[in-house]
Amino acid sequence: MTRPHIEPFIDREVPFKKMTLPGFPKGMHYKMLSLDTDTGACSMTVKFEPGYELPPGMSYSEMELFVMSGYIEMEGKKHGPGTYICLPPGVALPAMKMPRGVTGLLFYNHGEPSFVESDADHRLGESDKLIKVNAYQDMQWSSTNFFPATAPGCMVKILKFDERTQAFTFLYCMTPNFWQDNISYHDCAEEAYHIWGTSWMMQFGDLPTGGYFYRPPYINHGAFRCELGTIALGRTDSQLYNHFHFNPWTTVEENRARAGARMLAWKPDLYKWVATGDHNHPADFEFPHAHYDEKGERIFHHHDGGDLDHNHGRPSRPPAAKSRARRK
Amino acid sequence: MPGLIKHKRSREAESWLKKEIAEQKARFRRIEHEMNVVIAKKRDQWIEEFLHNIQTRGYHVHFNMMRKIKPEEIPKKPKRKFKVVF
Repeated sequence: MTRPHIEPFIDREVPFKKMTLPGFPKGMHYKMLSLDTDTGACSMTVKFEPGYELPPGMSYSEMELFVMSGYIEMEGKKHGPGTYICLPPGVALPAMKMPRGVTGLLFYNHGEPSFVESDADHRLGESDKLIKVNAYQDMQWSSTNFFPATAPGCMVKILKFDERTQAFTFLYCMTPNFWQDNISYHDCAEEAYHIWGTSWMMQFGDLPTGGYFYRPPYINHGAFRCELGTIALGRTDSQLYNHFHFNPWTTVEENRARAGARMLAWKPDLYKWVATGDHNHPADFEFPHAHYDEKGERIFHHHDGGDLDHNHGRPSRPPAAKSRARRK
Repeated sequence: MPGLIKHKRSREAESWLKKEIAEQKARFRRIEHEMNVVIAKKRDQWIEEFLHNIQTRGYHVHFNMMRKIKPEEIPKKPKRKFKVVF
């Protein structure tokens, strides 16, 4: 992921822009929160004008939508504030209407925003991965379940969890008079948008309603305060671990080195294996062990010198292609 | 790549992306200046309060477990340039 550190950004300070990308019907407006400069993946606040209609269609990238106000009519049902949809790439959603307009958060996770009109799934679409839930009405708050955990008064609702990367999307809230006196950093990138409320961090000051951050790994944040309560939507790109400490002046490099040293202390055998100069291929037995995944996309693996993108002469074929060839 | 179906990016998308990247660069520069320069003095004060609080009230180790930090454990501000936005 190549996104810069955007923290803090208050979207209320900038106007909406018209969405002009091909495929999107007129009447959609957006504020760019952050953007991956390589892939075009992005996070946006969006506004759909009253009467906006979207025909059945799909996106090339995995997409997540969270409704903050208004409602979407889909298949005869109204989906109001709190509605969360995670749409896998290539999976077609039915037609949508937004009679009174909608504001929300929209995330394209792996590529630039796209909309292709279609009433059928793409052949690679995995409709079993579609998530549709009302996070306000159908889910309850729970403690964070991380160890070490955030201080009492910070609660979450997990909306999406990627079993391979452990990336997750979640609603979180801080109760009035929440405080946490430590400094944290993570091995993952993290982003969040304040749906309502103001919280404070020692490095960045107040983050009010409409406040947003995209924070790359190993950047210090905290201590934390929240006077009147906050509700926000957060996301990570991989596993979130709270590396707590109390040195306000450490750098990204020092934090990363500390995380590495902790990994050596916690998982010495795994650390040594990964760190050897041999031709290691960290592969997950639950996922295809090859240079390709089930969609025919190359899986990155470890090589000495940090060379993650290479080939081995004659490229091996994806497993599906091999079995097809054998059948012939 | 999981989560993405290969497709050819349109010309319009290319030029949209270019424009957005330029705007993001400008946004980053503004934020970087505001955070690393403009509010630096205010933050020094916040840090002072934090270092005081963890010695008197305690430092959050995990959930509601807190530990009072001894004066000799308190880190000293290094001489190098200090920044919070990278």
